[in-house]
Order: sequence, then structure tokens, then C-alpha cells
Amino acid sequence: MSNVKMVLAGEGGQGVQTVGEVLAEAAYNAGLEAMYLPNFGVEQRGGVSLAYVQVGEEPITAPKFRFADVVVALSHRSVARSARYVNDHTTLVYDSSGEEIDGGAVGQARRILGLPAVQVAREELSPRVFNMVILGAVWALAPAMPLQEVKRAVESHLGYKFAVQPELRELNFRAITRGRELVAARFGG
Amino acid sequence: MAITQQSPRPERVFWTGNEAVAWAAVAAGAEIMCGYPITPQNEIMHTWVRLAHQYGLDFLQTEDELSAGFATLGGVLAGKVAFTATAGPGTVLMQEPLSMAEMMRLPVVVVVCQRGGPSTGTVIYSQQEVMLACFGGNGEGLRVVYAPATHQELYDYTIKAFRVAWKYRFPTIVLSDGYQAKMREALTVYRVEDQVRGEAYVGRPGVPGVARPPAHLRNTYNLEEELYDLLANYTTAFQEIQPRVGEWQEEDWQGAELLVVAHGVVTRAARAAVRELRGEGYPVGYFRPVTLRPFPAEVLRRWASLGGTMLVVESAAGQLRRLVAEALAGYGFRLEGLLRPGVGITPEEIVAVARGLLAAN
Repeated sequence: MSNVKMVLAGEGGQGVQTVGEVLAEAAYNAGLEAMYLPNFGVEQRGGVSLAYVQVGEEPITAPKFRFADVVVALSHRSVARSARYVNDHTTLVYDSSGEEIDGGAVGQARRILGLPAVQVAREELSPRVFNMVILGAVWALAPAMPLQEVKRAVESHLGYKFAVQPELRELNFRAITRGRELVAARFGG
Repeated sequence: MAITQQSPRPERVFWTGNEAVAWAAVAAGAEIMCGYPITPQNEIMHTWVRLAHQYGLDFLQTEDELSAGFATLGGVLAGKVAFTATAGPGTVLMQEPLSMAEMMRLPVVVVVCQRGGPSTGTVIYSQQEVMLACFGGNGEGLRVVYAPATHQELYDYTIKAFRVAWKYRFPTIVLSDGYQAKMREALTVYRVEDQVRGEAYVGRPGVPGVARPPAHLRNTYNLEEELYDLLANYTTAFQEIQPRVGEWQEEDWQGAELLVVAHGVVTRAARAAVRELRGEGYPVGYFRPVTLRPFPAEVLRRWASLGGTMLVVESAAGQLRRLVAEALAGYGFRLEGLLRPGVGITPEEIVAVARGLLAAN
């Protein structure tokens, strides 16, 4: 099976870089080929931040690619910015808690998957773990890798926060599981 | 970690390129980094500072890149294995110290993480610092420039850069870029047994002129003939190291009607594109200069003497193409470019352009 190519796009501060970095590291931990490439400008917050992730069993060639198998766009601007990576093989994931996205911009996508990630994070968990819900969703769409490797990668990136507030660990892990469930519910498995 | 005294075995890691560079500098035997922050180079400094604490090494943050470059040279003169890292406008400021290193034949390693230009440009990525790296100073470009393409190569060639600089006494540049700096991929890191050792140029024991020859370090000459004689020696010395230092990679260049030429991170896309086209039976080859300076022209000249089309692919508006055109002046071949200053290039784009050129042949 060829590698899965993903573009994660969000507003600076939404946490897409953490999602991309953790997913790539989890894949590496699981023995897969993995690459993560961040792409953002000089702004500390705001502006669209992109992460390119490639995961699979084949050696990875170039860090960038023309079309993505999975595009995750977490804001209106992100949809516009990442539409260029969408073709008729792409699964487009967006947050359905807010306004509906402009279907015209992503009309070519093979399937469009609206997930109420913001709502689930706010109502069931904490708004702070919104990006972990997204991580769970992209984990579900990536080549198979065990939960323990995802947790290990989360630990290596956020462990310093868990050391101060240990209850955050479970909260983050629950968010990941919920994200995965949201995708499974849509695809019936 | 693998490259420390405690753990001698090679180890597989999943790092950013900047982390790989900083660890490689430690592995090679670097003792001090002098630097000034600039994106996308910063994590080289951050990682080095962390490691410096751990291994008793030194770090000096200066007020700008001019000072960082000259402080690095000061470290070298004092006998330290010193290096610096910079990017974009910082690479411009770094030219004066680099030029002095050429003049005084000081070994120094500079890691350049190319970003978009001109000026502040972007903090993201480009291959627009090729000319700066190779010929940026006032002088003759007496520098060795490595263009690595993977994190493994960043690690390997950073170590090699220290060895080559201290062996041949020419400043040596590792030409990274914003993608390689910040992306994460797997590599194997290892310890180096024969680390580079510095030797003091100044402050050596003994009375100068009595117990030892005086250190006579000049970057100024009074007579034009004096300078000319010196530079004649230097340029000859630089030409002589070419066969030992020049490196390249190629695939299927013989019989290639279309030769795709790229350097640095773009070679990854170029090679993938060539393999795809080869798989479909197209007569396509691939060539990559690993050293941009000295430029490895031999294989290219053999290919060019047969005629054909060359497609130079780079994230710049023709800097590599200029090096190629100069090296192959007078050969009858068609020179084309897929030139995308400041943006990444995908295998798909190269395949599309190559198909067009092949169809037109």
C-alpha cells in the first residue's frame, strides 16, 4: 500500500503542528516510514499554519507533494489555503461545529467529513484538547498504528505539561479516543 | 544518546534537521558555537546550547551575524574547533568573516539554512543562497559547499565539513534549507572516533622568532603583485582539492536523452520523478552535485558531449543553472529549467515538465 499523505491546516495556535508532529512520531515509533514538515510564516498567532505528514511502508521521497490523501482544514481560511491539495482521492476533514464550509472550494474531494470536534471538546472534555480530538481523527485515517505508540508520542511532546498537571494526561488520551470514534461513527467502523 | 562517550553504539532517531546538525557538530569535535538567532536556523543554536551544558562546550551569542562570524574565526585562531549557523539576511552579513577566512586560510564551518529572499523574504524555505554560499564574498569563492538532501546526509556531511575544513583550511559550508531544518525524519546517529582537533594560531608558547616562527597572520597586502602571487597559490590549492573533495550522485546518465539536475532537498523529488519516468521506459537520467563548490563537472561533461536536454530543477530562479552553464560552457546541449524561487518542488511537477520536454524532442 502506498504511503498516506496528509495536509493539516489551521489557524496559528490551533495546534495543527502538534498534531502533525505527534502523528509522524507515533508512526516512526510503530516502525513505519514517517516525515513531518511544518510550514508557517513569521506570525506567532493567527495566519494559516500547515503541516505536511507522510506515513507508510515505502521510503519517503520529497517532503512536499501535489495532492493529499487526507486534508484536515480547521478554519475557513484553512479550507481555502489547502484546497489546492484536494483531488478526487482526497478525504477532506473539517470542523462541523461552526459554519458549513464552502463546498465549491473543495468540490473535487472524494469524501467530505465534518466532525464536531470543537463541540465535543467543549462539551465533553475541555476546549484545550480540541487538537487531540483532531489527532484521534487523523490517527483513524492514517495507516494502522497502535494506540500505545500514539500515547508515547503525545507523552514525548506534552509530558512536561503532564508533569505539572497529571490529570491532563487522561484528558488528552480521552480526546484522542473520542476523535477516533467520531471518524468510526461516520464510516461505520 | 548515541554519540556520547556513555553510549558508543549507533542509534536510530527521529529528529529535525537542525537537531541533527547540532548533534553532528558535537560528534565531530566542535568546541564552541558563536551565533545570532535567525529562523530557520534557531534550533541548531537551541540544541547546541542544551548540549553545551551537558558536555562542557561553549556558546557565545553575539549582537549580529558579522560578530558571530568573526567570533567564530577568533575561536579558530585561539585553537578551538568553532562553527556558526545562519540563514537569509544573516548569510549576507556572514560574507565578510567568510571572506577573511578565505584570505587567512582559516578552517571554519558555517551551516546555512536557506530561507526565501530577497531581504527578509520568508522564514520558510528556498534554494536562493547558492550564489551567496559559493561566491558571496569579495574574492574568489575559495570555499567548500556541501548540499545535503536527507537528515542522514545532514549528519554525515556536517561531520565531514569539520574534517574537510580542518584538513584543507578552506571555509566549509553545509547548505541546508528551511525544509530540512524543520522537518522530522529518521536517521542513524553515531559516535566519531577521530574527532577534529584545533591548533592555536595565536598565543602559542615560546618566544616568537626565537623558540618558534612568529605567527604572521595577514588579511592585508601592500602590493598588488604580492596579493596576486598569494591568490595564485590559493586558487591552485583549491583546484587541487577538487578531485578529492568534489562529490556527486547520478543515476542512468548514460544514454539519457533528458538529464534532470538538482541539488539539496530538491534531489529527493528529482530522483523520485526520474525513477517514475524510467519505470515507464523514458530515457531519463538524474545528476546531483553533492558539492556545489568545487563543482563536480566531469560526469556532466561526458554526458553533455553526447548532446541532449538538461532540466535543472531548483527552488531559485537559476542559481544552480548558472553553475551548470558555466561548467558546461561550449558543449552543445539544450539547457532548460524548472525554476521555482522560494517554493518547494514536487515529483509530480517535475514529471509533468519532463514529459513535455521529452514529447518535444
